[in-house]
Amino acid sequence: MEILLTDGPVRISVISGLIAKAGGLKDAGGHSLFLGQVRSDVSDNKAVKAIEYSVFEKMAESEAGKIKAIIFSEFPDVRSVELVHSAGLVQAGEISLFVMISARHRQQAIDACKKTVEMVKHRLPVWKKEIFDDGTHKWQQNK
Amino acid sequence: MEIEVFFFGVLADITGIRQKHYNDVKSFADLKYRIGDEFPEIVHYTFRIAVNNEIVNDEPLLTGGDEVALLPPFAGG
Repeated sequence: MEILLTDGPVRISVISGLIAKAGGLKDAGGHSLFLGQVRSDVSDNKAVKAIEYSVFEKMAESEAGKIKAIIFSEFPDVRSVELVHSAGLVQAGEISLFVMISARHRQQAIDACKKTVEMVKHRLPVWKKEIFDDGTHKWQQNK
Repeated sequence: MEIEVFFFGVLADITGIRQKHYNDVKSFADLKYRIGDEFPEIVHYTFRIAVNNEIVNDEPLLTGGDEVALLPPFAGG
């Protein structure tokens, strides 16, 4: 499995489990983490209450595999890439994306984490519907 | 040939379906015509096409059993 898709928010127990698992990588000297959170944007006097994510699961799995292959080939220090993304409803303030890169040294961990997050934004077949506090909704796309 | 078509994001909303089976598809152009005929509002939206989970740029050659997905701009994260 290249990416874990969770029903609803990415739970802290999943995140802590992956951090604990990374301790098994004895030749890693650092882990760089990114947590994506649902932001309560306001537009036209309406605040985002939640985001409903839909995912093309089969393609997400194959794209996640390609993202990892790119990271491993560009950053030879990297030892593991963990990806978790939400599917379904995530409330404002909850976590919808978790990326963790474990590497021998910090610089490649940090750089690879940044690149992975950008590729997740541009390559993963995921769509988000913003649900506003007045019950209306709007499909959103990445800038 | 038989083709399975998948609609995602806003396209699933406007068509009211996520998946549809098409029989006797002659070509990609034929499939595109039939989808556009059935869901005319789709022309107002931007989307890319994936065949069997791979994004294609030109009009692909389809084979029976292929899965065609209509993908609006991504919004992960």
